Amino acid sequence: MSRPNGPGTGEGADLDPSVRIGLLKAMMLSRTLESACCELNPRWFPAEGEEGVIAGAFFGLRDDDTMAPHYRGPFLAYALRGADLSRLVGQALGKANGYARGRALGFTGPAAMGIVPWVAGDLGTTIGVATGCALGFSYEGSDRVTVCSFGDGTTNRGDFHEALNLASVWKLPIVYVCQHNQYSISLHASEVLPIEQISVRASGYGMPGLTVDGNDVFAVHSAVRDAVARARSGEGPTLIEARTYRLGGHWASDPGGYRLPEVQDAWRDKDPIPRAVSELVTSGDLTQHDVDSMWDEVRQAVDAAVTVAKACPDARLEDIGANEVFADVSEGMSALRGERGEPWLA
Amino acid sequence: MARLSFAEALVEGMRHELRTDDRVFLMGQDIGKMGGVMGGSRGLIEEFGPRRIRETPISESAMVGAAIGSAMVGKRPIVEISFGEFLPTCMSQIVLQAANLHYMTAGAIDVSIVVRTRIGDGPYRGHPQCYESWFAHVPGLKVVMPSTPTDARNLMIAAIRDPNPVIFFEHMWLYHGVREEVDNSPTAASLGKAAIRRAGRHVTVVSTGWMVHKALEAAETLAVEGIDVEVVDLVSLAPLDIDTIASSVRRTSRIVVAHEAWKVGGIGAEITAAITEACFFDLEAPPVRVGAPHHPLPMAKPLRDAFVPDVNDLLRAIRQAMAT
Ligand SMILES: Cc1ncc(C[n+]2csc(CCOP(=O)(O)OP(=O)(O)O)c2C)c(N)n1
Ligand SMILES: [Mg+2]
Repeated sequence: MSRPNGPGTGEGADLDPSVRIGLLKAMMLSRTLESACCELNPRWFPAEGEEGVIAGAFFGLRDDDTMAPHYRGPFLAYALRGADLSRLVGQALGKANGYARGRALGFTGPAAMGIVPWVAGDLGTTIGVATGCALGFSYEGSDRVTVCSFGDGTTNRGDFHEALNLASVWKLPIVYVCQHNQYSISLHASEVLPIEQISVRASGYGMPGLTVDGNDVFAVHSAVRDAVARARSGEGPTLIEARTYRLGGHWASDPGGYRLPEVQDAWRDKDPIPRAVSELVTSGDLTQHDVDSMWDEVRQAVDAAVTVAKACPDARLEDIGANEVFADVSEGMSALRGERGEPWLA
Repeated sequence: MARLSFAEALVEGMRHELRTDDRVFLMGQDIGKMGGVMGGSRGLIEEFGPRRIRETPISESAMVGAAIGSAMVGKRPIVEISFGEFLPTCMSQIVLQAANLHYMTAGAIDVSIVVRTRIGDGPYRGHPQCYESWFAHVPGLKVVMPSTPTDARNLMIAAIRDPNPVIFFEHMWLYHGVREEVDNSPTAASLGKAAIRRAGRHVTVVSTGWMVHKALEAAETLAVEGIDVEVVDLVSLAPLDIDTIASSVRRTSRIVVAHEAWKVGGIGAEITAAITEACFFDLEAPPVRVGAPHHPLPMAKPLRDAFVPDVNDLLRAIRQAMAT
């Protein structure tokens, strides 16, 4: 499985055509939605070029599984769980219609969506929380799993090491996906990681580790699918390193002058979306016309969402919720608050 | 004399010590070719190179631990935690190691480190948590928060030279928002001294960081109404310069304490308690505190603007102190 960024690894060839088409559409949605947010909010984090990892990791999970997406490109997971796209865009803009009602600018939705949200900016701690979801599943003896993604830079946090060790000791049902885009803000991975492949870290925790071509969505997804099956059957966690490249800046308005333009151009040529398109057109699963109408559908959905979100008022002062810091004891505890909506790509 | 922004003055302070003392080095994320978060180390990599200006992995606990250890063997590291929001990730190292080592070894070890970090609501609008009072609570840590470029430079120099761990809070609104003429003689300020920024007869307003500037603005507004406000810039949260505050309060007999951190358990609580103990019979009115309301800091701009104490909150508090 260790063939990073070859031209079409052939992995995932056994995936059902409907899954392959779903993966493509998930990438299209992620690209369109996140780019729209970047255009509207210069502080949003571009995920362009990394959609192979994002879609490959979170597509096709069961309704009762948990997802813990990286902060770069988080919205696909929510869309897959039926989030209203206009509320996601509203969230990125701090509008009143956002799921967090302006409290967290990042990524939160109803608990019923089963997604570990970002409520603070400290990298790495969500890995522990995601591991805890897997602990809950193990504890209840169910076959539910958690998929958790994070950046390459975040694997240098102690929280990453502690969580992976714990998950392995307890054989927790979790798949760790490293969205390796080669950068932590301005620092190239080679400046802060003494190893070429992050997947080798897995052996230190006694779990399987593999490196896949992150720009080949089919390769990512088939690796995740196998690891999910392994987790479901009680065999414990897996670390998957999916190698990709951050085509945009760290944030949307970051000129990113610390990178080499020729390297950037080379990675542009490996864009995961055209790659998947050409595989699907070559295999005869899609015609170019099908592809165009998929783009049309996705763009229309996102355009409509942007229109609604832009027209929406800013977060309202009453939503500051000074009296909502604690849960109401009389209401008891609810693990599944809020509605879920019709999943995108259902 | 040079007209420097707060950020430039911070860099000047570090540059001065880097030039004169090879034991001094800086570590943190994005402090090299990017020039530091918000330009907080601009130009240093070009002058001092990667041995002195060290890019780190995202490993805050190891970074602070490594600073402490290198201080134990005689170095004078400055470790940069990009934003105050990440201080909790290295809390054990700061609170249990850095703070304790000197005392617990009966003085055998000095921990001469500076932990610098950015806090406060500002143009960046990211990670603005104000946790400074947590550190003032812990014996063995010095805690400073400059409000002017001159202080930024001279306190940085003092912090680097101090044989103790100094937690250095840099308010993000000040970074590029405040400029002043800074003299050509970098000197170490004395740590642990408050500064009177505006003399006044009727009420003492004690504040920190960006809030000092809001207090000065409120003072100008109230001067028109005949209320003469004395503005004390705390500068140092630990040690706390209660003497300067108390002597001001003995003259004015009223005190308002204002900061951007949560009011509950903030440094203002300590100051009002200490002043009440020291000046109970000098006070004409109960102390008034201004601080953030007791809920997490929301992110959307209108909510955040409502959360962060502003000049109006200060005006209200000062008028309240004047009403009795
Ligand atoms: C504990 C902590 N330290 C530092 C930061 C500042 N920071 C925000 S994003 C980032 C880079 C993260 O790199 P990586 O994990 O590779 O994710 P990417 O941004 O590349 O997607 C850094 C250092 C942070 N948010 N949290
Ligand atoms: Mg990265």
